[in-house]
Amino acid sequence: MSPRNLTTVAPRQAALLRLTTGIAAARDEAELYQSVVTGLHDEGLGYSVVAILLVDEASGDRVLQASFGWPDVPDGFRLPPGQGLSERALADGRTHYTPDVHREGSYRPTRVTGSELDVPLRVDDRTIGVLVVESADTDAFTDEDMEILEAAAQQASIAIGRARLLEAERRRADERKALLDTVAQLSSDLELPRVLESVLERAVTLLRVTGGEVAIYEEETREMLVVASKSIGKESTGTRLKVGEGAMGTVARTLEPLIIPSYHEWLGQSGQYSDTMVHSVMAAPLLIGRRLVGALALLHSDPARVFDEEDLRRLNMFAPPAAIAIENARLYTAARRERQYLETLVFNIPVAIVTLDRDDNVASCNPRFEELFGYTRAEALGRNLDDLVTDETTRAEALAYTQQANTKRQSVHGMGRRRRKDGAPVDVEILAVPILMDEEQVGLVALYHDVTELLHARRDAEAANAAKSQFLASMSHELRTPLNAIIGYSEMLQEELEEQGNSAHGSDLQKVQTAGRHLLALINDILDLSKIEAGKMQLHLEDFELRPMVEDVLSTVAPLAKRNGNAVTLTCPPDPGSMHADLTKVRQMLLNLLSNATKFTKGGSITLTIDRENDSGSGEEMVVFTVADNGIGMTPEQMDRLFEAFAQAEASTTSKYGGTGLGLAITRRFSTMMGGDVQVQSEPGRGSAFTIRLPAAVRTPQKG
Amino acid sequence: MPRILLVEDNEMNRDMLSRRLIRKGYEIVVAVDGKQGVDMAVEGGYDLILMDMSLPEIDGWEATRQVRAHPNGKSVPIVALTAHAMAGDREKALAAGCNDYDTKPIELSRLLEKIEALLKGSPA
Repeated sequence: MSPRNLTTVAPRQAALLRLTTGIAAARDEAELYQSVVTGLHDEGLGYSVVAILLVDEASGDRVLQASFGWPDVPDGFRLPPGQGLSERALADGRTHYTPDVHREGSYRPTRVTGSELDVPLRVDDRTIGVLVVESADTDAFTDEDMEILEAAAQQASIAIGRARLLEAERRRADERKALLDTVAQLSSDLELPRVLESVLERAVTLLRVTGGEVAIYEEETREMLVVASKSIGKESTGTRLKVGEGAMGTVARTLEPLIIPSYHEWLGQSGQYSDTMVHSVMAAPLLIGRRLVGALALLHSDPARVFDEEDLRRLNMFAPPAAIAIENARLYTAARRERQYLETLVFNIPVAIVTLDRDDNVASCNPRFEELFGYTRAEALGRNLDDLVTDETTRAEALAYTQQANTKRQSVHGMGRRRRKDGAPVDVEILAVPILMDEEQVGLVALYHDVTELLHARRDAEAANAAKSQFLASMSHELRTPLNAIIGYSEMLQEELEEQGNSAHGSDLQKVQTAGRHLLALINDILDLSKIEAGKMQLHLEDFELRPMVEDVLSTVAPLAKRNGNAVTLTCPPDPGSMHADLTKVRQMLLNLLSNATKFTKGGSITLTIDRENDSGSGEEMVVFTVADNGIGMTPEQMDRLFEAFAQAEASTTSKYGGTGLGLAITRRFSTMMGGDVQVQSEPGRGSAFTIRLPAAVRTPQKG
Repeated sequence: MPRILLVEDNEMNRDMLSRRLIRKGYEIVVAVDGKQGVDMAVEGGYDLILMDMSLPEIDGWEATRQVRAHPNGKSVPIVALTAHAMAGDREKALAAGCNDYDTKPIELSRLLEKIEALLKGSPA
């Protein structure tokens, strides 16, 4: 098919536009070649046979990139050097027109029967390939065809050049990324100085400067430490700069790069560099995000050279690898320290630790594990844990722990008995913790704490305590039974004697009774105190009215008061209301205080006051009982030991005033159990006032 | 003359308390353990029962429950006697079915008041 004549200008222009657009739109070289041949084959241009061949630099072969009208020749087809008509265009870089192929000496018979036009493709003054256009007719191409095809070849060449540039750029970017990746892997702190030296070395070479330095920012000291130094006129490694000191100290503060045209005239200069040959300096901070990890500085000692923005841009290229290397070294050191810490912990902890893989086989264990269960590490590794440390009796329980931790992915805590390699049992506290990584369970860690000794000690203590309680209970029973008889018979005898009008032995019998009752009170108090101390005293909470309770107490204490000539007064509202507490204990406490008051007061007055108030701290409503007397009172020293058991103010007091000396100790413990307290105010010779404060509604019993 | 069943295992206590009550004008019948106490109580014919709580065979609380479970023992007043005023003993005794409660050693005048009140048909 012949090229169209000039009457088809408009469609031809449209076809050329499509060709240009196609070339511009190509995303890579292959698409580009395809769009050139397709565009030229466009019916607006009508070239029936079009091909692009590129020279393979290694072999010199021309390799077919894209074609139209050569149905039998595949892309990638190679034409050796020196063959074919297109060779001429490659050789001299010019367009060659062959009006009749048969007349050419270099022609080898192919399907081309008419004319051929060979247009070189040139990039950067080099011929890289050839655009071949053929026609079945001889002398088919006009000057205009030549213009069109040369223009197309030129456009294609430009596009090829651009594509190659892009490709090269992409490759460089890939290389840079590879460099960064490599640097990122150089993560040990031993390698850090080497990495930074190499970064500095390359920066110095590339920017053609005299020398430079790299410093690391130390967070602990808030100082810049120079770790790499090259050709600055002295060995500066180890130099420390405060933030704000010198060029690197300044960028550490501002986090912005800096150019100093004349260092020794610069106000921010550091005295540590006064002996160097520094003329101008350029520095950049090394950042991870916005966090400072170090600084990089380059310098000229040649006064003729000054840094510019372009230098700064290039300096910034070296900052990321250096920053990453520093950060990685820091992370590596931190991770190694963490690991050492954990290893030391696991190695020395007196708890057996074993880790299991997904199949519950032992992956690692610590020395305490070897010691506790009698297996060496080598024996334990790879074995199923439950096979190692359980027997038939505990197997199911152990499996349940493992499965619970595995299925629920939660820590399981418990006590159990396990078996050593030698068959001896060990009582252990067990903690099984699933090891999760990114939501996936990768194993289990089991901790065993040997509690054999602890359990024995506890069992012994419990047994001893039970024995003590039992002893006290039976003692008090055994003591009370004969005592009851003594008290009862002496009372009975007295009654009988009185009925018979015989009073000769009356006072003796009274003494037997009094001594007996005192002994009984003592036994009861000791029993109470032991129960409190053993934590066995319980509260029996109930609602009760205050007035009947205090009237009952007052009537009980009345004979005692009368004996010492004391007047007892009750001060309280007509209806003091009710409270929720242990009635028996409240009564016992008030009896203790009142009987003490009657004992230590002669011919005086004793007042029992009932009040209600809100606790200043909790706001809880409190019932306040105060027992005040104007008796002998106490010194501060006496008050100090007042609430301790067997601590009446003077040892002689008991014999003189009677009482067990345990009443106040019991009273205080009872009030603590009920969430209240007892306080005392006293002055020798003036009297004492004891105050019991109890919650109006006592809650859950607290151990006394 | 009011008839009182005294259930008490300790011989001296039994002797002492029965003699003192007899002097005050009561007729006293004794049982020496919980089982005998229940057997006698359910035969009936007593105006009041004094029941020790720590008894051999069956203890006083259980004996009281058994008496109360019997048709003849539903209404007879029972006074529990315990060795020590332990917190909770009173509640325990009342819960078992006792009408009142007193502690040993017996203070005769106090016990008499309780007995009189119960015999009159009103609580102490």
